[in-house]
Amino acid sequence: MNGPLFGHIWRANRGRLAIIALTLLVWGTLLPVIYDAFGVQFKQLQDSGIIPPQFTQFGGGDIFSLTGSVALGFIHPIAVGLMLVFAVGFSAAAVAGERQRGTLEVLLSRPISRRRIYLTLLAAATLFVAVVVAALTSGALIGAMLTDRVAELGPGNLPLLWLNGTLLFVAIAAVSMAASVSFDRLTPAIGLSLGFVLLQYFMNALGELWPDAAWLQPFSVFSYLDARAALSGLPDPANFVVLASVIAAAVGYALIVFPRRDLAAPS
Amino acid sequence: MDVIFRAMAVIETRGLTKRYGHGDAAAPALVELDLDVREGEIFGFLGPNGAGKSTTIRLLLGFLHPTAGRAAVLGHDIRRDSVAIRRQVGYLPGGIAFWDGLSGTHLLDELAALSGRPPVRRTDLLDRLELSAETLRRPVRDYSRGMRQKLGIVQALQHDPELAILDEPSEGLDPLMQRAFYDILDDLRAAGRTIFFSSHVLSEVERVCDRVAIVRHGRLVALEDVASLLARRRRNVEMRFEGDAPRLTAVSGVSDVHVTEGLLTCRLEGDVGPFLAALVGLVVRDLTIEPARLEEAFLEFYEDAIDRPTDGATGRAQDDVVQGVRA
Repeated sequence: MNGPLFGHIWRANRGRLAIIALTLLVWGTLLPVIYDAFGVQFKQLQDSGIIPPQFTQFGGGDIFSLTGSVALGFIHPIAVGLMLVFAVGFSAAAVAGERQRGTLEVLLSRPISRRRIYLTLLAAATLFVAVVVAALTSGALIGAMLTDRVAELGPGNLPLLWLNGTLLFVAIAAVSMAASVSFDRLTPAIGLSLGFVLLQYFMNALGELWPDAAWLQPFSVFSYLDARAALSGLPDPANFVVLASVIAAAVGYALIVFPRRDLAAPS
Repeated sequence: MDVIFRAMAVIETRGLTKRYGHGDAAAPALVELDLDVREGEIFGFLGPNGAGKSTTIRLLLGFLHPTAGRAAVLGHDIRRDSVAIRRQVGYLPGGIAFWDGLSGTHLLDELAALSGRPPVRRTDLLDRLELSAETLRRPVRDYSRGMRQKLGIVQALQHDPELAILDEPSEGLDPLMQRAFYDILDDLRAAGRTIFFSSHVLSEVERVCDRVAIVRHGRLVALEDVASLLARRRRNVEMRFEGDAPRLTAVSGVSDVHVTEGLLTCRLEGDVGPFLAALVGLVVRDLTIEPARLEEAFLEFYEDAIDRPTDGATGRAQDDVVQGVRA
């Protein structure tokens, strides 16, 4: 990793990071509060059988239990969208965006190897994702504290939840960055990354909501985020291994491809 | 080390070749370039758009990988030691782009930190290029093209690199700043630094460069001293005289002789001695020998391309040449 480059990236993104982290903190706080306010009524609604069980347990989350509320907070499109600001927005633009703007030229002309540039960008993406996931996790704890339900949440297991969530979004960031090192323009890099995320999210959602499509779920990285299991203290280690494997594959690809690419003059 | 280079060669290439694409469809961008740039010289690298100038620079800096051949910069092999090369090189890309949100000062600080060497020449460069502290406090996005170019020059030279690779460095500079920039180059040369200088502006190459290489269609077509190149060029002569016209057609180095009513025009190449000797006894009222310009030398190298019909790729080459010469 290159210290001055990391410092530059940090200074360029810290404002955006603060806004996203604060927003996710508020979002994370809201779900336990909503659960506290309406959980009983929703539970009665669920028990009435009006709502199909698949819809009440989407993404391993629900608003009929505190852990379910927190799990929903991680998989909800609003939270996912905010997380993607760094997991896709920053990562896909990290190389392709700089290349398109022409600013990669001055960076490449410094005595830093391309591998080191990539690893520094990856470290920054990992930090940003870790911070925003930590903000969401912290929000859940704050929400539980506000509603006097800390014991129900099981705060000792929050680090497991943070780790599981961070691995998921770092995996997406690594895939986006692999796309970023492969293209000279931002549009294909960000398009490929967003396409990957939407497809993965859709496969997971379809597999959860439609039993006949359940076979799709193992092919989605989102299915390896099991917030409820993490909060119970009994996560499936395979979830962590699969997400770590996705990261390793994407990083390995980028470390091979980026140094070997010919970087012609920007047009 | 399998590549043996002379101690004084700052840049040395042997058979350096770059093709884009694969197989029969591979397009040659640079073909078997043999080049030596000596320590302490300002080396001009000339050619029209698409001739292979930027490809050469990008190969030297490790942005591109050679298809064949080898090259070394400051004794480091370009395939294996590109980081070591960039540690000792300052680079000004053509049409430079910056992180626009930063102020000029912050940008220079960050780029110096990334270079890993203290910006020992910055104050002097800022002073000579008239970039004030007030200007440097503004975000780079507010800079004019000329100010950006000045900032580009400062970032390339502020850490006092052993070799500066400058791609169209005076682009966007007004004449006063161009002169200041040429003075900076002169000082760098005096300090033993080497400058590799790509340009379309032939007058500036003539003004600052010690030697010049000319590339065309990816091939080196000339490599020699600017002085030698100019000395070999034909000068334009215009003379007003009285009496009979001198017989110049047989004089060594004289060509294209035209005489009309006391006015003689001709072209003169090489030593002026025989020409002056032929004028002995003639009453000369006025004599103008126009200095040879590098433009003419350059045009001659491209003469056959210019004479070609303007169709397809050939036409583009012709346009490029004319554009390059006029720039």
